[in-house]
Amino acid sequence: MTSFFENLINTFPAFMEAAWMTLRLTGVSLVLALVIGLVFALMKVTGIRWLALIYNGYVGIIRGTPLIVQIMWLYFGITHILVLSAFWAGTIALAIHSGAYIAEIFRGCIQSVDKGQMEAAESLGMKRALAMRRVILPQAFKRAIPPLGNQFIIGLKDSSLVAFIGITEIFSLSMDNAAVTFKQLEFYTIAGLYYLAMVAVVTFILSRVENRMDTAK
Amino acid sequence: MIKVEQLHKYFGDLHVLKGVDLNVAPREVVVMIGASGSGKSTLLRCLNFLEMKNSGRILIDGEEVDPATTPLNKVREHVGMVFQHFNLFPHMTVLENVIEAPVHVKKMPPDEAAKWGRALLEKVGLADKGDVYPEKLSGGQKQRVAIARALAMEPSVMLFDEPTSALDPELVGEVLEVMKGLAADGMTMVVVTHEMGFAREVADRVVFLDAGQIAEEGDPETFFENPQHPNARQFLRRVL
Repeated sequence: MTSFFENLINTFPAFMEAAWMTLRLTGVSLVLALVIGLVFALMKVTGIRWLALIYNGYVGIIRGTPLIVQIMWLYFGITHILVLSAFWAGTIALAIHSGAYIAEIFRGCIQSVDKGQMEAAESLGMKRALAMRRVILPQAFKRAIPPLGNQFIIGLKDSSLVAFIGITEIFSLSMDNAAVTFKQLEFYTIAGLYYLAMVAVVTFILSRVENRMDTAK
Repeated sequence: MIKVEQLHKYFGDLHVLKGVDLNVAPREVVVMIGASGSGKSTLLRCLNFLEMKNSGRILIDGEEVDPATTPLNKVREHVGMVFQHFNLFPHMTVLENVIEAPVHVKKMPPDEAAKWGRALLEKVGLADKGDVYPEKLSGGQKQRVAIARALAMEPSVMLFDEPTSALDPELVGEVLEVMKGLAADGMTMVVVTHEMGFAREVADRVVFLDAGQIAEEGDPETFFENPQHPNARQFLRRVL
């Protein structure tokens, strides 16, 4: 036990740097994923066939393949045509991955708004795009907050998979330390504690947001 | 004001409207009645292009509206609609509901729109409710807000789709009072309702729909005292 706490304290500065990398990966990829998700969800709900087909293809492929395969494919695939740092390859892979799930969240929430809302807006002379922006999306966004929070937490933990393309974040730092010290159990426990702490902070922030937005209604 | 010629509407294989002809004159109040499934709500929704006709012609203000070539949002600016389930926007206050379309469709300056909105709320007896959210209102109050919201676009005709059917019985009266007031002001109205008292008192003409066709129409007195069509007689026996 003494060695565990010694290890925890001695590696603290290195893990803080790694945690900062995890946060950047997660933050940047989730912001991109929100944009991707919204654009694709809107494509799906327009009712235009070929846009819906693109949506189905995107969501189908991303949900149908493992994230680690997507990360590898992007890292080794795209670096043939485009010089991309490991950070951006990882971030983009995470964004495309979360984007598909977030698109499904937005699509579901948009479609869950009573169709009488669109009818009422249109009967007032509003065009569909205006009605979507002013009437449907504000209601859909509010409903999306709880499932989005869930997806953010998944995204935070999924960022650990970019360890395999050589980004020094929490999980890869644990792997390195475990390999050097042969204290696998200790260092993977330490990794778990860092994730647990970060998820706790995110959960706290989300519950505050949910309370303020009164999303239970 | 509104002219409908040989309107046909199908839902899949179901032939809902079977060649309906209807004329609504300016300032006229037409009440459409009939059993459920007779097509009265579908007909009303076709007038606002929330349902698309399969064949026939619809003329609004003397101009034929072809959904393929006419921008429907422009037509709808002149045709107000009140729904059975109110369809107020829950994320906006009562006043914001009322001025949403004037501000964002007509581009009315917000302060001018707020003044206009408060005047309309006063007209429907809800001057003090402008800043509350719809969830705080009773059904009757919600429907009166919905009427004010439709009026805010200064439509030349108002369509009412069973406006009191979702209300508790004791709240029906306050909505009908507002509608009577509108009729007295000379608003052109097409009303689908089960309120026979309202039809008798306010309607200039009663239209009885049966199986997707207009089976009988006439002034309310003649219709209610001496209905001609056997199904009209049967219908009135059941509802009166």
